[in-house]
Amino acid sequence: MDIKVLGTGCANCKATIALIDQIAKAKGVVVNLEKVEELRDIMGYGVMSTPGVVIDGKVVHAGGVPSRGKIEQWLAA
Amino acid sequence: MNDRVDLPQAREVCPTTTRRLISEGALLVDVREFTEVAQVAFDVPGVLLMPMSELEQRFAELPRDRDLVLVCQVGERSLKATYFLMYHGYTRVANMEGGIFKWARKGFPIKGAQPAPAAAAGGCCGAPAAAAAPAACCGESTVDPIAPAATGACGSAAATAGRCC
Repeated sequence: MDIKVLGTGCANCKATIALIDQIAKAKGVVVNLEKVEELRDIMGYGVMSTPGVVIDGKVVHAGGVPSRGKIEQWLAA
Repeated sequence: MNDRVDLPQAREVCPTTTRRLISEGALLVDVREFTEVAQVAFDVPGVLLMPMSELEQRFAELPRDRDLVLVCQVGERSLKATYFLMYHGYTRVANMEGGIFKWARKGFPIKGAQPAPAAAAGGCCGAPAAAAAPAACCGESTVDPIAPAATGACGSAAATAGRCC
């Protein structure tokens, strides 16, 4: 599973990466987790509110740290 | 949700070029919040206020057939807004780097309090007296300011590498 976290390095962006990484490891799901910090690349997804989360090329979340439940749903899919 | 678009580098213009673009019919779009605008505003006829907090809902109000120059306090939010509009297919859009701070430092018209500590008004391309000239700086006035996305801040090819103004 290819997961990108869109954000220019704010605290919420870092928290989002950490949370996804933590839950993925706990569930034993192998993910390729990548930070996208360049504004042009972030805006290439049309995301105005960060952090944004892109899974396998699709934006699934924008704005605020996603909930644990939401991340678990993504990883279960 | 959203598909990915490979966006080109946003075009950035300096305040001097912005003034020229306005005189040629460009629309200045201020994306600062209303509370910020209440403190200090661009004293430019027809400036459109569209705060970042409303941009996603209201951007369709912006014309696609007119040059747009996006502005904010220092040029960061307006850069994001510029990319947002590019994502939605706007091509005649540019960001004014430096925002109202730089605009005011140049001595260009504002309403309200001076937004930044007084600093030496940097001359355009090293020429102190050129800052107030409404025409383009760097001696360039004939280059189409919006169409070529890769040109320099003042529309001159020579300015591509460095930041003029």
